[in-house]
Amino acid sequence: MRVADSTLYLGRVAVPATPRAARNALTREVRSMSVRERAWYALLVAGLGIGAVSALLALPPGWEVMGTSPSFEWGLLIIGYVFFAIMTSGLCLASSLGTVFGIERFLPFEKRHAILALLSLTTAFGIIALELHYPIRMVFGAVLVIAPSSPMWWMGVFYGGYLVVLIVEVWTLFTNHPIIHKYACTTAAGIGICAPVTLGAVFGVLAAKPYWNGVFTPILMIASAFVGGVGLLGIVFWAVNRFRLADWRSSEIALGSVRLLLAFGLLVVSALLARQIAAGLTSDVPGFRPSTEVLVTGPLAPAFWGIRIFLGILVPLGILAVPRLRTPTFTGVAAGLALVGILADRTLFVYAGELVPRTTMAGTIGYPYAEYTPSLVEIGIMLGAGAFMAMAFSLCERYLDMGGGDVHVFWPWPWIKRHDHDEHEAEGGQPNAEAAGAGAPAAVAGAGAAVAAAIAVDGEQR
Amino acid sequence: MTEPLEPQDGEPDATPEPDATPEPDETRDATPVSDETRDATPEPEPELDATLDLTSVLNAIPAPADAPADAVLVPLETIAPQIEQASLTRRAFLGFGVALAGGVAGAAVLGQLFPVFASAEDQVSPLVPDYNPKSKAWTFVVDTSRCIGCGLCVVACKEENHVPESAEFTRTWVERHTTMTDGTLYVDAPDAGINGFPATSTAPGAEGKTAKSSFFQPRLCMQCADSPCTAVCPVSATYKTEDGIILVDARRCIGCGYCVVSCPYGARYITPADEDTPASMPGVADKCTWCYHRITRGQVPACVEICPVGARRFGDANDPTSTVRADALAAGAQPLHPEYGTQPRVLYLGPTLQEA
Repeated sequence: MRVADSTLYLGRVAVPATPRAARNALTREVRSMSVRERAWYALLVAGLGIGAVSALLALPPGWEVMGTSPSFEWGLLIIGYVFFAIMTSGLCLASSLGTVFGIERFLPFEKRHAILALLSLTTAFGIIALELHYPIRMVFGAVLVIAPSSPMWWMGVFYGGYLVVLIVEVWTLFTNHPIIHKYACTTAAGIGICAPVTLGAVFGVLAAKPYWNGVFTPILMIASAFVGGVGLLGIVFWAVNRFRLADWRSSEIALGSVRLLLAFGLLVVSALLARQIAAGLTSDVPGFRPSTEVLVTGPLAPAFWGIRIFLGILVPLGILAVPRLRTPTFTGVAAGLALVGILADRTLFVYAGELVPRTTMAGTIGYPYAEYTPSLVEIGIMLGAGAFMAMAFSLCERYLDMGGGDVHVFWPWPWIKRHDHDEHEAEGGQPNAEAAGAGAPAAVAGAGAAVAAAIAVDGEQR
Repeated sequence: MTEPLEPQDGEPDATPEPDATPEPDETRDATPVSDETRDATPEPEPELDATLDLTSVLNAIPAPADAPADAVLVPLETIAPQIEQASLTRRAFLGFGVALAGGVAGAAVLGQLFPVFASAEDQVSPLVPDYNPKSKAWTFVVDTSRCIGCGLCVVACKEENHVPESAEFTRTWVERHTTMTDGTLYVDAPDAGINGFPATSTAPGAEGKTAKSSFFQPRLCMQCADSPCTAVCPVSATYKTEDGIILVDARRCIGCGYCVVSCPYGARYITPADEDTPASMPGVADKCTWCYHRITRGQVPACVEICPVGARRFGDANDPTSTVRADALAAGAQPLHPEYGTQPRVLYLGPTLQEA
């Protein structure tokens, strides 16, 4: 560590040490950007500004700035928290196919998934901290007093541990700790299943809310987590392909994998959703049928049929089913729509659970439906959360080495063809052009060996 | 390079006169040199003493020009490492003391901010002298055939417990169940019943319809034996006392609202800001406590005391002379919505929802 010319040198990293140096560095960075990049960052800064102002308004025990009430206690911020939290799990589940099980076509997910997962979880924690009126007490209270009967306590345990594991995973991804990285990837994949189960149990144990109650809620949560994570990966790898970001040649493989996983996930989610609706419409559990009818024929029906079913499931499935539309752009569109569908799913899930009151709530009868309109502060926090994640990931793309996936497969299954990563590494990291096969773009110099091997697999399949 | 302060065995004497060598310091002798220090010191180099006391340091200061000839004269630079180490040792000691004091102070502050155990000074504390909670079986009985919907119970509750004035936030309320001549059923609770009820139902859709029958139903926390609110609280801020009353420790509540959505009877709310609240703390869960601060001191809840028609009755079912014991055993006494499976401990007499 040394200081010279108003700059602090930490190893290979140079940090401006004075406000003047920081301003100069920022000016240089902005000047080096294209107009499109500047517009993108300006948009994100605006979103962050809105989010920051909203967060400041909500920081004091800010009940009065939220649109919630005893009749509708969980609103937009809970929706946002669930959306980002389960997306973390989906990212890890999708990439675990490559990082844990060694399936080569999923290996290109590794670096970006880890960063996205960490950012998504951080965003989720930020949202829930603003939703909770006393978040610091949560940290101390959950540690000092164990509450094993509470799914929310378990959720805190798993997601808290998840954050630590993801930090380790990202750290080892950019340092030379392959053994730790292997274990971190495997642990993250394991928690990636457990964490959404606990999150689903938070809703599933509530007998007071029949639409949420039941063992299928955690299962639906895992399935929609998977689709959410894959959808985000699809958008990111479309951007990598479109804007020729680092290691962009592997995005073809990644997008092919996204298509496969997205189709599978959407079909599973569709089946679970159909089961939920059928069970609700035929149920004699008090409150379950009215809540389901609110979705199917009630005030939520336009959003349910229009966004959740049509845009969120049918259109993406249609895009994925047509061979001519298997392009990066259409894959990105399908992934984006699937992600919108998952956001709509979380929203409708929370709304349907609370919209039909079963009783007078603290003296107020919500008749025929409980009232809830998200406040501007809640909307601002959500905008800020999205902007934070996009900004942080954009900066990671700009400043971190996102290329050349240094893949560490923990559990090489015997029936899966091992890639010759180690051999290539010994040969100086050059890809094996012969292994790429006809039509595969593996001959590109500088591409990582693992990516080349993955491309080879894809080439063979084609 | 450093030189030894004192001669070592087998080494030449560094002092001018052998008899002028200072007496070995006891403290120094009593303090063994650590293995690490030995290991770190090259073999030819003399050992360094990391625990020099003030005497040895003073002895090491060069004597003035007019000092006697037998004074110890050691160049300052030769003992600089020792002085530095002594200084470090002292600094480390001070740092340790500061850290310890900071830790104790921090723990005290955290203990105040995040209390774990109940205190006798709590506003609602189970620690009341001469009160045996294990002997109690508190029971609340509501007789809907007597309730006239005056709303005095709601007023008394808000006054007694500093419940927010707004009708949205009530610990206890009164609702009216009306069955129309066409068989439709409406429930209304204008302003939680605090101002009484108009002649006709205010429920949307009830306008113009003729009522066949109606009754008032006071509502409050059911103090469920199998309470979902205590089970789901992630920080155990909601807890059950030994006599079965469910309370909220406002100092530990994080305001997540999980208990609010888990209560099938809608008995909870999150305290709003800018209003008088039971614990003078906005953003925490609150609910009816059956006036725990009163019943542990031999009184009845405020709503029971003020009810002009005796529709709300309260007592210890373990007490053979208690009227609620007879009420609880009376035919027709039943909990509200037993199908939720929470084993509520409020029993209702009189017409129920189905009998309106």
